[in-house]
Amino acid sequence: MNLTTLQFVLNGEETAIVVDTSDMLVDVLRERMLLTGTKKGCGKGECGACTVIMNGAAVNSCMIPALKAMGSVVETIEGIGTLEKLHPLQESFMDEGAIQCGFCTPGMIMSAKALLDSQPHPDGKQIREAIAGNICRCTGYVKIKKAILSASEKLKG
Amino acid sequence: MKTLNIVGKSLRRADALEKATGTATFSTDLNLPGMLYAKTLRSPHAHARIIEIDTTEAEKLLGVKAVATWKNTPRLLFNTSATMTFTLPNQEPVLDQYIFDNVVRYVGDEVAAVAAISERVAEAALKLIKVEYELLPAVFDPLEAMEESAPDIHPCHAGKNIPGEIIKIPMGDVEKGFAESDIIYENRFTLPIQKHVQLETQAAVAQVSPDGNITVWSTTQTPHPSRIILAAAFGVSQSKVRVLNPPYIGGGFGVRIGLSAKAEPIAVTLAKLTGKPVKVVYSREEDFIASDTRHAGYVWVKLGAKRDGTFQAIELKGVLNGGAYCSFSCETPGVMGAMGLSVYRIPNVSYYGHSVYTNITPAGAMRGFGNPQGMFAIEQAVDEIAAQLGLDPLELRKQNIIRVGDPWILPYSCRSTGLEECISKAAEELNWQRRGTMNEPGSKILRGIGIGVGTHVSNSWPFCVDYDNAYITVLQDGSIMVATGVPEMGTGTITTLPQLAAETIGIPLDQVGITFGDTLTTPFDIGSHASRTLYAAGTAVVAAANDVRRQILEYAGDLLKTAPEHLEFANGLIKKQGLRDSECVGSGVCQLNEVQNFITMKDLAYHAHLRNKQFIGIGRTTPPNAPPWHAHVTEVEVDTETGMVTVIKVAAAHDVGKAINPLIVEGQIEGGVLMGVGYSISEEIKRDAKGKPLHTSIHKYLLPTAADAPEIKAIIVETNDPTGPFGAKGVGECGMVPTPAAIANAVYDATGIRFTELPLTPERVLKKLQEKNKNII
Repeated sequence: MNLTTLQFVLNGEETAIVVDTSDMLVDVLRERMLLTGTKKGCGKGECGACTVIMNGAAVNSCMIPALKAMGSVVETIEGIGTLEKLHPLQESFMDEGAIQCGFCTPGMIMSAKALLDSQPHPDGKQIREAIAGNICRCTGYVKIKKAILSASEKLKG
Repeated sequence: MKTLNIVGKSLRRADALEKATGTATFSTDLNLPGMLYAKTLRSPHAHARIIEIDTTEAEKLLGVKAVATWKNTPRLLFNTSATMTFTLPNQEPVLDQYIFDNVVRYVGDEVAAVAAISERVAEAALKLIKVEYELLPAVFDPLEAMEESAPDIHPCHAGKNIPGEIIKIPMGDVEKGFAESDIIYENRFTLPIQKHVQLETQAAVAQVSPDGNITVWSTTQTPHPSRIILAAAFGVSQSKVRVLNPPYIGGGFGVRIGLSAKAEPIAVTLAKLTGKPVKVVYSREEDFIASDTRHAGYVWVKLGAKRDGTFQAIELKGVLNGGAYCSFSCETPGVMGAMGLSVYRIPNVSYYGHSVYTNITPAGAMRGFGNPQGMFAIEQAVDEIAAQLGLDPLELRKQNIIRVGDPWILPYSCRSTGLEECISKAAEELNWQRRGTMNEPGSKILRGIGIGVGTHVSNSWPFCVDYDNAYITVLQDGSIMVATGVPEMGTGTITTLPQLAAETIGIPLDQVGITFGDTLTTPFDIGSHASRTLYAAGTAVVAAANDVRRQILEYAGDLLKTAPEHLEFANGLIKKQGLRDSECVGSGVCQLNEVQNFITMKDLAYHAHLRNKQFIGIGRTTPPNAPPWHAHVTEVEVDTETGMVTVIKVAAAHDVGKAINPLIVEGQIEGGVLMGVGYSISEEIKRDAKGKPLHTSIHKYLLPTAADAPEIKAIIVETNDPTGPFGAKGVGECGMVPTPAAIANAVYDATGIRFTELPLTPERVLKKLQEKNKNII
């Protein structure tokens, strides 16, 4: 055990938590902070279910040593909208039928949000590439792609 | 016909908000006070006897609370799959598994498990367990496993290493049928191992109370059958066991019909040994190597036809690789034969099929359940007949498909079919007439179009035990609670079942609550499998809702002094026939016993409550099964320099009877199609010479991502089956069924090469292309 305090901005709040230097970010989020919205589907950076946004980029939180997040800004599915004002992606995923079992959904939405944050009006190819690291076994990606497109249109206003 | 207000509408899923905001809870998310974490030691050998197992060092490790092996766990045979609870009275279920055994039968088989204060400590402890193995001969191919010299994997009575019975389906006289045929095509087809790769791995959390009551939260698709299996495996009464989903499941596709591999029994074993809650979460690698796969194997087909295209006889044979334990290996070959021989009107049919034990990961239920394997062979045989007779494959199919009322081998009637419409619509979507004219001479990229069709089931009756119960209780404000034992694994159950209830009773959807996926709070239901949930559990919900509606109309009839049949009941309002809604303002129910023209559901329920009455509806049903139908037309591109097959588009037209929620139905079709595309062109688990699997992670196992998924067009065809709720039939598995054949037929159209082995990897395709070129030169 080699403990250190991790300080970072999580979902807009200054956060400090003692972690083991060998902890991965996904486990700190899920097991220590009980933010279980971020899912763990493989632990090897292969399924994308644990995607969070770190300093503006979508990352697999199972591949990020927790201390790599020191001083960074991290967003998870719990932080991107409120019940009063959901993120347009959350709205469009619900409306377009892009959610089935829901296990890939948080990571999928986070990858899509990182895309829309940097490229508010992506084309189909950019959408496909942005979520290529997020495996979904339920939907065939049809309605997920449609939902991301629809959210980007909403953002156009 | 009655106007539908709620059924048939693409309403937002009931679980959408929780799932979009990250608040939906899955088994892997659970965290109980004092909870321990378990890890499992797995066999490195394909077949071996455990001579000695020493856990002393592991037990001494700081943080380790218990170690379980075959020596300290119950020795009661069970079957992790729900076949243990489904098998009909005239057959014997195959029980061939212990929680841990002193013989291991595949690489990945359970040897021991450790409960510790963290996964990390549990993993460290596994390395301290010393096991001495005596290696036994192993066999991996089903045909080799049937040879006399092969090792006996389990005792069998039907034949060497054949679990259960050999399935034979005869109708007519195939010898005569082939003799009368002008043309015959026959071939052997080879199918690979496919894995579900549901996003949430197998998982369970078990808690055992001091008085021995067992609670298991798990990823099971069938909580009630899972309770039966666990009670048997631990030798306790079913009333002591509660199995529930927490409440969501990260996908299923058949991998947890029954237990979630051994997650539940391992968690319960360690919870009993430690007295603490224990969590078992399979790593992705464990999920790949130690939870059921699709059956690989061989399918032989022989199809005979007259010169005018009329099919005369078909012979189908399947030998499937069942792996090391039976799971669903008795039923899967049955579905292959029963469905495969029920698509076309053929007077003489014969099927012979079974599985074979081998020393690989057990094969079990997976979306399509034997049907995609059979249809891969049959639908290519149909195309071959068309090619040899110079007929349009589309027209040949239309000429021969089963029609309503036709005799067939199934023990229930074909009461509806929209297959012809499915064929036409899918073909139209892809502009079928382009077929054969799509390639320029000398082109390195070849395009082709192909078709595949099929049918499936809407439940598993009368092949398996298959029934549903549902309760509907009317609460004191007129809202209702539906109780159903089926889970929500992504297929939309908790949205569509309430749609059925609300529509049937005549109340708004927001007045319907649902409890599901929990043996404590719901009546017995056989669970989610066989594309049955909406059709079969839905039938029970509609029956319960009709029961409630009848009781309410009777009660209202007394109150309004009108015969129930002269009352209307819709949108939460019960009124005398012909009265306009606008005339029903203020119910005035508090002036009791006054003659009224109308009453709201809310007031009626409270009126009854004040008189010591609650309405409870019960549905207990076994619908007789119904055939969904589907036609897929695909367009592919074959790169002749690399052998790469790219699926450009799939048009998938499905006769679903009635789409209760079209958006959800489309989602089922689209997901099934893509899983079928992966099965066709890239997904496969191979092994080394010692039986060690080579594809054990998502990256190694090539399943389609968003970047390479084709365009998929789901087309809904409705035929209103008389046996389904509001006419609905099954849909969940159907997107898988005709996809491989449709793709292989498109590749044939592009290249002129008939591929008999899946998946169509660049390596396989290039080899055949080169062979063909060699022959031309």
